[in-house]
Amino acid sequence: MKNHVILRIVTKLLIPYILLYAFYVQWHGDFGPGGGFQAGVIFAAGIMLYGLIFGLQAAESAIRPRLVQSGVALGLLLYIGVGIASMLLGGGFLDYDALGHDGQHHGILLVETGVFITVASVMITIFYSFAELIRRQ
Amino acid sequence: MDGVREVLGWLCIVPGAMFCVIGGIGLLRFPEFYSRMHAAGITDTLGAALVLIGLMFQSADWTVAVKLLVILFFLYVTSPTAAHALIHAAYTSGHDPLLADDGPPVQEGDKP
Amino acid sequence: MSGEQLIDIVLLALLASTAIAIARLRNLLATAMLTGIFSLLGACWMLFLDAPDVAFTEAAVGAGMSTILILATLCVVNAEEKPSRESPIALVAVLLTGGVLVYGTLDMPSYGDREAPATTNPITRIYLDSANAPVEHEEGHAAGSDPGDGFAVGIPNTVTTVLASFRGYDTMGETAVIFTAGLGVLMVLAGARHRRPDPSKEIDLKPGDEGPSA
Repeated sequence: MKNHVILRIVTKLLIPYILLYAFYVQWHGDFGPGGGFQAGVIFAAGIMLYGLIFGLQAAESAIRPRLVQSGVALGLLLYIGVGIASMLLGGGFLDYDALGHDGQHHGILLVETGVFITVASVMITIFYSFAELIRRQ
Repeated sequence: MDGVREVLGWLCIVPGAMFCVIGGIGLLRFPEFYSRMHAAGITDTLGAALVLIGLMFQSADWTVAVKLLVILFFLYVTSPTAAHALIHAAYTSGHDPLLADDGPPVQEGDKP
Repeated sequence: MSGEQLIDIVLLALLASTAIAIARLRNLLATAMLTGIFSLLGACWMLFLDAPDVAFTEAAVGAGMSTILILATLCVVNAEEKPSRESPIALVAVLLTGGVLVYGTLDMPSYGDREAPATTNPITRIYLDSANAPVEHEEGHAAGSDPGDGFAVGIPNTVTTVLASFRGYDTMGETAVIFTAGLGVLMVLAGARHRRPDPSKEIDLKPGDEGPSA
């Protein structure tokens, strides 16, 4: 991609805003359309754009494959952890009222963060796997 | 004042929609790839800009208008870049443009 | 015919024609592009039905992610579908299934029907009322200062409330499904990843090919 000056410059300008938009959608899911699933996909799309334009090696050194592979499990673990925490604090599984005052709000925030981590990690992992497959062809 | 804003809005949206339709017709009727991309470029820039500016006139709140402006800016940066990427890819893979001294244009299918 | 019905008909006609084109085309690259367009039209359709959350997800996943992954797959396989033989049994099976599906949809309530189960079931009222009931605050908290004021769960977006709080188990199941999908891809393509690359076959960066610092 050395000769694609326009693509590289435009991508360099846009990727921070794409990632910022992903975080905006994640935490604005309380007030408008949004939430974990959409934010995870947008975040992964930003990383995939980086990988497509600057090369797989650059993307893998920015977001390491080992990190995203553990992220796949970490998000689900966070989700279930919130459920178990509410069990340990006296309520049922995933009963946010047991998480204390304003428990619903905190519970929903944590749960959506878990979904975001899993979805983004899975999308980036699938992209890395396909790209490695193509590279080794 | 609201009526003036709404009329201004419609005065922008309807020509914008017409430009989009013209771009679509050009996409179908032009003889080869590069002229079709040229026609599609109208949809990207002029059509989208007019529709979004018309919506900005009709928006209820200034925050909505600012968001539409950001969308317009994003569209202006990415659509021409995508067109550039397409044409560059076609050119470097050997697809030559149809020039004036090549004879009458023939409707060709999609070459790989 | 009102304007909304016109948009209805146009959107559905576009969806149907895109689906037919996807089925009939043999060039897989064009089919990949049309799949992206189908997802985008589906997102417009969902937005038209007043469901912005779902439309958002459909546009992001279908028109963005899915197209790239299909194109990545096409890099590895043939770009042209092999011609399939026509089989009368297949035609009968497809017609039967499609006919039974259409017969089933004749029984479904129309959009916004007042007698529909989604509207008359008491659980709908319970969900909407609990999402919007007033929240108790301690004294000293000025009323209306918090955007969540007036909502028992505390957040204004009902869809997120239902998704993450009232139906938390279902969302946990969905996340587990996505996790399993990622796991499946890793297991299938692990041979390509974790095999130690042969140093003699490693692709070197060409001298002068800078990384992202350029």
